[in-house]
Amino acid sequence: MTDPQVALMMLGLFIVFVFLGFPIAFTLMAMGIGFGYYAYFDARRMWRDFDRLDEAAGTWDQWSTWFEGFFNNRIFDLFVNQTFTVMSNEVLTAVPLFLFMGYIVERANIVDRLFSTLNIASKNVPGSLGVAALITCALFATATGIVGAVVTLMGLLALPAMLKARYKPSFASGIICAGGTLGILIPPSIMLIVYAAASNVSIVRLYAGALLPGLTLVGLYLVYVVGRAILQPSSAPRPSADEVPDVPLGKLLVMILTSFLPLAFLILSVLGSILFGLATPTEAASIGALGGMLLAFLYRAMTWQRLRESVYLTVRTTAMVCWLFVGSYTFSAVFSYLGGEHVISEFVQGMNLTPIQFLIMAQFIIFLLGWPLEWSEIIIIFVPIFLPLLAYFEIDPLFFGILVALNLQTSFLTPPMAMSAYYLKGIAPPEVRLTQIFAGVMPFLFCVIVSMVLMYVFPEIVFYLPELFYGG
Amino acid sequence: MIGFIRFADNLSAWFGKAFAWLIILMSVGTGYEVFVRYVLNSPTAWALDVSFIMYGTLFMMGGAYTLSRGGHVRGDFLYRLWKPRTQAKVDLVLYLIFFFPGVTALILAGWKYAARSWQYGEVSVNSPAGVPIYQFKTVIVAAGILLFIQGIAQVMRCIIAIRTNKWIEAEEDVFETEDLLMEQASRAEKDSHP
Amino acid sequence: KMQTSWSASNIWQEFAQDYVNRVEEMSGGRLKIDLLPAGAVVAAFQVMDAVNDGILDAAHSVSAYWYGKNKAASLFGTGPVFGASSTAMLGWFYEGGGAELYRELTQDIMGLDVIGFLGFPMFAQPFGWFKGEVNSVADIEGFKYRTVGLAADLFQSMGMSVAQLPGGEIVPAMERGVIDAFEFNNPSSDKDFGAQDVAKNYYLSSYHQAAEQFEFLFNRFSFEDLDPDLQAILKYGVEASATANTSKAMRRYSADLQWLQNEAGVTVRRTPKEILDAQINAWSELLPGLEEDDFFKRCVASQREWAEQVAFYELMNAPDYALAYEHFFPGKLKL
Ligand code: NA
Ligand code: NA
Repeated sequence: MTDPQVALMMLGLFIVFVFLGFPIAFTLMAMGIGFGYYAYFDARRMWRDFDRLDEAAGTWDQWSTWFEGFFNNRIFDLFVNQTFTVMSNEVLTAVPLFLFMGYIVERANIVDRLFSTLNIASKNVPGSLGVAALITCALFATATGIVGAVVTLMGLLALPAMLKARYKPSFASGIICAGGTLGILIPPSIMLIVYAAASNVSIVRLYAGALLPGLTLVGLYLVYVVGRAILQPSSAPRPSADEVPDVPLGKLLVMILTSFLPLAFLILSVLGSILFGLATPTEAASIGALGGMLLAFLYRAMTWQRLRESVYLTVRTTAMVCWLFVGSYTFSAVFSYLGGEHVISEFVQGMNLTPIQFLIMAQFIIFLLGWPLEWSEIIIIFVPIFLPLLAYFEIDPLFFGILVALNLQTSFLTPPMAMSAYYLKGIAPPEVRLTQIFAGVMPFLFCVIVSMVLMYVFPEIVFYLPELFYGG
Repeated sequence: MIGFIRFADNLSAWFGKAFAWLIILMSVGTGYEVFVRYVLNSPTAWALDVSFIMYGTLFMMGGAYTLSRGGHVRGDFLYRLWKPRTQAKVDLVLYLIFFFPGVTALILAGWKYAARSWQYGEVSVNSPAGVPIYQFKTVIVAAGILLFIQGIAQVMRCIIAIRTNKWIEAEEDVFETEDLLMEQASRAEKDSHP
Repeated sequence: KMQTSWSASNIWQEFAQDYVNRVEEMSGGRLKIDLLPAGAVVAAFQVMDAVNDGILDAAHSVSAYWYGKNKAASLFGTGPVFGASSTAMLGWFYEGGGAELYRELTQDIMGLDVIGFLGFPMFAQPFGWFKGEVNSVADIEGFKYRTVGLAADLFQSMGMSVAQLPGGEIVPAMERGVIDAFEFNNPSSDKDFGAQDVAKNYYLSSYHQAAEQFEFLFNRFSFEDLDPDLQAILKYGVEASATANTSKAMRRYSADLQWLQNEAGVTVRRTPKEILDAQINAWSELLPGLEEDDFFKRCVASQREWAEQVAFYELMNAPDYALAYEHFFPGKLKL
């Protein structure tokens, strides 16, 4: 077997082992070390000292030297070296800070104020409750980036309200599941940081590039919600006058001022300082975290308990993401040491695909991977396999990354691992069935696909802002 | 065995949580850099180094804590359908052949790596501020030791689960909002249908 | 396996390939070197650790990338400028005692299992890329600037805030706002990673890295396990590649400088004299502190002695090339 074939076997075995359900970080680590042991196996060097002890045959010294030789494989040093590379990765330093900001904002008692304000503000729009829920989801998801929290909090708040207003359960749950997932796409998104770390595309360009596509997707969602409310009023009946309190304009403005604006200001200042190059994403994230704490404090939601929770959850989620990187850096170093990248690119080049065929194939594979897996695994482990091929097909890795980010919206919504749907099912009233949730999600999946086609047809949606801010 | 599991859980949690507080230092420290750069026009030379040292220490020292609370992501769409006994059998084998070799390497090869760094008093190459990083490289060893101890506890968990078909959960102190809310919802449902 | 500290698209990857090709040809195919770009196995700044551990058999890098382990590392390429050219300082390595000092530093003082040689004597490096014009030392104060090795200490003492990054990370860092000015090395490499997209003012001539060379690192065991003739090919291949790289650099660097000026809309200027003066002063102020280290002191003394003798000859002997150039291409030079 040649080394590149061994590399392919390594990838194949890894995919099999993932399905055994062992923590993926350690599965990756094990595959890297196991195959790396083979790649770096060099008996002469490993047992160098042993050979010198030939005359001392049979002694304890000789046996312990033999044993040492067994562990004298360079792969262990490579593993440590790659671990340190992850530890000193400057792009990833933003991850814990954005997570911390998310956990703080999530606990700032902000979502109910936001929802009720938007509900009143949008009451003359068809499907007003749905529109309010969707915008609250989008805004809240943007600030926290934590899908589960958005879906459950909104599921407890907006879902009962919509059901009470006689919305179709499937329609109502679709809105919340899809809206809650937006946080991984719209900047400042952790997923894009992770993509940046995996692909070496500049994170600020990615942020700039994801902004319009994110808004496009929100727009498509809104068009669908409003359109359906108009075309099929029974699925989203107008709330009766007594359900939405009649609030004078002045008071509404105050409500907007106190609920909508602070959060919007926080998001905009974080995002603005990144896009205009005033601060690095890491710095902006720290400002966001401090701002989030201030916000929570002003809403009188800042308790010692909540701070502790946020701190501890931050370390856990950061460790989850970054240990995945530790595993994958080791895996991919061994993979490319064995020449695996080369084989894959030769194979794909041999398929004689056009760039568009390649793009569709890659996105389709990522879509399929999104069924059983979640975004972190896909981006950290599988997307890097496609990245070296992009240059050959002359596809901008920025553009590819935005398509992936859109695509992975679906990973939360497609069974068997449809985390959004499960979160919602977990807190929804028992009469809302899982099949209803999936049915409600379908049209939103369709919107995602439409948005991807839009990006392909009008790439300016992706490139306009990055080029405006940072030039071609 | 249960005693050791509790001991390891507590040990991992203690270290994980203690280092978790670095996030506050990191927010304030990085915020300080922005302040001195814009308000005082004198950026620090060390902010970048300090921020990645804190980030790296935080996630490395949190690895065992996350493991003890089942926080490392699994491709579990089959796994979660199995009964605990089957899960435990598979986990047990994989802990032995997947987990321990790597974690042992972190300790032994990490020791070699860190010791060399101590020997020449290595400083960060990212800035001329001379921020030392030998202590940071030592974190690799410390994280490896914590993971090793926690790994032994996980193996014991597997053995118990194979015997009893029931997992021993770690004592939880903090919950993700979604888990908390889902927990409350299912409890409320149970109460209404006794 | 040999890994570089450069990304695949950098011209220096080609320079490394020139070395690999020569070695393969000279050994009649007995030596086959797999050349990998930065990050393929380990990160750019990790190659010294990796070669020492045997993760890589060899690396193609510069010594300033490991000066975090010992500041004296930077003396082999990014040291004080006493007036000797890059070629003269390569001469110091091979004829002035530099090689033995390098061996002492890596093997005796730091206990590393590496064997190193210096190759291609690079042309003096430009002061670099700025968003706006810089005319005085006051203009650059408070800038966050990228360079490496002792040049970082140099600019820090001139009031800049300095970050060291591998070449491939410079432009992303510029976009992220981690830095707001930088130098890397030469018109071709700078162009290859897209410097012209993030800054339009390019300042040539500087004393911060006027005499750098490539560093070729070999794991001691990988090297010593080879037959003596192959060891010789690896060693003298470095010398051979130096000439090949120099010739190619002349053609490509100069062509890319034209391209930057004419096609990319970059304004090319020479660094103002005030800044150059400040650089030399900064070098002489920087040295006493660093010379508290015994090895550093001996190494600098050796370089100083070499430069005093060799540069005297170099400079006294050199005709004013600019005069001849001006004669045949009148009005082109703007010195
Ligand atoms: Na899925
Ligand atoms: Na340079």
